[in-house]
Amino acid sequence: MTTTRRGTAVIEFPSDLEILITREFEAPIQLVFDVFTKPEHVRKHFPPFGEEMAECSIDLRVGGDYHYVMVTDDGTAMSFRGTFMEIEPPTRIVDTWIFDGWPGTEAVETVELHESDGVTKMTWRLTFRDQAGRDHMTKFDGIEASFDNVEDYLRTLLEPEARHG
Amino acid sequence: MPISAYIAAVARSATTSDSFNAIAEQKRRAILTALIAGEKPVGAIVSDLALSQSQVSKHLRVLSEVGLVRSRAEGRSRLYRLEPAQLQPLSDWLAMFEKAVNGRLDRVDDYLQELQEQGETK
Repeated sequence: MTTTRRGTAVIEFPSDLEILITREFEAPIQLVFDVFTKPEHVRKHFPPFGEEMAECSIDLRVGGDYHYVMVTDDGTAMSFRGTFMEIEPPTRIVDTWIFDGWPGTEAVETVELHESDGVTKMTWRLTFRDQAGRDHMTKFDGIEASFDNVEDYLRTLLEPEARHG
Repeated sequence: MPISAYIAAVARSATTSDSFNAIAEQKRRAILTALIAGEKPVGAIVSDLALSQSQVSKHLRVLSEVGLVRSRAEGRSRLYRLEPAQLQPLSDWLAMFEKAVNGRLDRVDDYLQELQEQGETK
């Protein structure tokens, strides 16, 4: 079986506080659910360059916590943690996340899975508590514009340019 | 499953400030949009956007400083035009964000395929 879906994630910005990503996987729903919720799997696919995860604990129950720590090549530890708010295997998980690099930022992440004909569609919605939170994700140091504005704006500007060669 | 925080951390490593800050202000984006149609004197931008002459001049100065607009004198007026090449850093960032999201999910996809292949050969 080969993957033909590389690069097919659809990214949307439905509001100032949300990011919505959808992606389909050629795999049964239970496997997709396990791959995102079991530490032995997360350790295999989370680090981008095959780094070791210094910590990967997942207490998969409502009120349970998870904690991931990854150490980059230059020795910087990146720590992510949160608490599970809803768990409905294998279709839905709601959790909070906090990235230690961005103090005071908390987001709620809702991942929903739906299987049809052996293909599992993931809908992954990230909702920041406040604008400052999403700004961490989508803005640059000191910038005021929200990313959806910038994105629309870029398309407007770049498209006429592309037509003129 | 803090997938997103991680992606953002990756994407943010490539930030460039000047052009980003210049278009952070909504009125400056409006000015750039007004210039898509072509070169214009300050007066035309003022009437297009219903802004004051001094506001438009102030924003044009910021845009000129980062190279997003260029100007030239023609007779007694000064004409402004868009310099889209300076938008490249923004376009690059958008591409990087998309690449980070896709990179993350493609790894999951590869891993899922790997697991299923192992399952099939057992």
